[in-house]
Amino acid sequence: MIWQLDLILLIFLVITALISLRVRDLLGASMVFGIYSFLICLLWAGMGAVDVAFTEAAVGAGVSTVILVATVYHTRRVTGGHKRASGMKLLSLLLMLVLGGVLLHASGDFPALGDPTSPANNHPVAQYYIEGSYQDTKVPNLVTSVLADYRGYDTLFETVVVFVAGIGILAVIGVPTARMRREEVCGDTAQFGEDSDLIILQTCRLVVPVLQLFALYVIAHGHHSPGGGFQGGVLFGASYILLALSGGLREALRRLSESMSFRLAACGIVIYAGFGLLCMALGSSFLDYAILDSILPGGVAKARSHSMLIVEAGVGFTVTTILFVIYANLATRGKLEGGL
Amino acid sequence: MELLTLTAQFEWILGKSNYWASTVLLLIGLHAMISKNNLIKKLIGMSIFQTGIILFYVSAGAKHGAQIPIVHYGHDSHESHDKAAHAAEHAADAGQQVAEAAAPAANHAADATHTLGETLYANPLPHVLMLTAIVVGVATLGLALAMVQKVYAAYGSIEEDEVLDAIADSTADSTADNTVDSTVDRTVKGTPEA
Repeated sequence: MIWQLDLILLIFLVITALISLRVRDLLGASMVFGIYSFLICLLWAGMGAVDVAFTEAAVGAGVSTVILVATVYHTRRVTGGHKRASGMKLLSLLLMLVLGGVLLHASGDFPALGDPTSPANNHPVAQYYIEGSYQDTKVPNLVTSVLADYRGYDTLFETVVVFVAGIGILAVIGVPTARMRREEVCGDTAQFGEDSDLIILQTCRLVVPVLQLFALYVIAHGHHSPGGGFQGGVLFGASYILLALSGGLREALRRLSESMSFRLAACGIVIYAGFGLLCMALGSSFLDYAILDSILPGGVAKARSHSMLIVEAGVGFTVTTILFVIYANLATRGKLEGGL
Repeated sequence: MELLTLTAQFEWILGKSNYWASTVLLLIGLHAMISKNNLIKKLIGMSIFQTGIILFYVSAGAKHGAQIPIVHYGHDSHESHDKAAHAAEHAADAGQQVAEAAAPAANHAADATHTLGETLYANPLPHVLMLTAIVVGVATLGLALAMVQKVYAAYGSIEEDEVLDAIADSTADSTADNTVDSTVDRTVKGTPEA
């Protein structure tokens, strides 16, 4: 942690947050919010939270910005002045003063930043994860082993939440009749990216395969370096979004259709939960991978390591496909044709 | 003496700066969610609120001079740990049964030297909790944006007051046929307050 960098980033964070909320142009606000995400990801990387920073870089600075821009494109770009009386604003300011006063007062009792002996860092559970998890699982990345093994329930249901969000988007803006029409339209094969810019098209054709390969590497190598199912899944989903942005949504949907997306997303959860049930079937508790050493090679620790890889792959399936579904629906107002 | 207290004060401020920043971001986000008129601005406020909370958690898990939470195995670990690893490798070469016998011994040797005691690692627990929160955050943002598009399709606006007016108008229209004008006035006036 370099305190000078830390301070500069904090100041810029507050400034970009204020700008993104002040700007009248909503497209500009979305872009400034992307910068905000990127700054906060630098801040987290500086504090040693590399996995969090990786996720934020892919999600906040990448996918969030794209779906915000998609919504601005389909609604209104400029927000008007406030016609209504600012009674709500006054009430809010009053609330902020009270809440801010309480929080700032409470911060006087917090341990200093970066204190290794603070209660949060000295808690037996956190200590155990640092000292014991490598012996238990032979996975060097402590975040991965805690995420996929010790707190497997948590991660399973977070994945379910992502899946449910995908279903929710379908329920909110999906247009069934337009979808059926699209199935018919898809019969005639349009040229890949016929109305796109040549330079953008060729660049994306080069970037997309590398991006997908990197995403697979991030999932597979999450045991030894920052990464894992969430980060790799977001990157893989981003590769399809890039394809849709450059060559048209139809082209991307031809490679990964929406129904296929939902099947794969469900597959991901079935892989994860099914692995937990397999542990139960072998006579242990749900998601207790240690029992699997009878069917996986390399002893108890290696069995837990391999199991983590499999559940991370399940997470990757769900996150990849649901992110693409979110983009595809938001970019077309649920019609799945046209696009940005 | 004077200088010393100044340095101490400065360090105290540095120790709190992240918590203060997270508080400020939290307040900015919450204020935007309550008082902004535009729905997309409200959602940006929600995301800023969320990052304020994540910043708080990550700051709580930070340690001065700590490594990132990825164990250095095989590089700077102790000798006996290396030996144990060697033993395990040899055993693996020798055959499955021997490996099973040697594995507990190797683990025990590593335990005894407490290989992780020397290097300070950042607390991985807040990282795990916040990592999943970010991905769930983008999913909820997507769902909320879908609702914004639906609102725009239904009322032709994403400004809160215009949407409320449109809702009031549509209720007024449906009741206008069989009610007196005073009812309509009350509906139109009453809704923005609610």
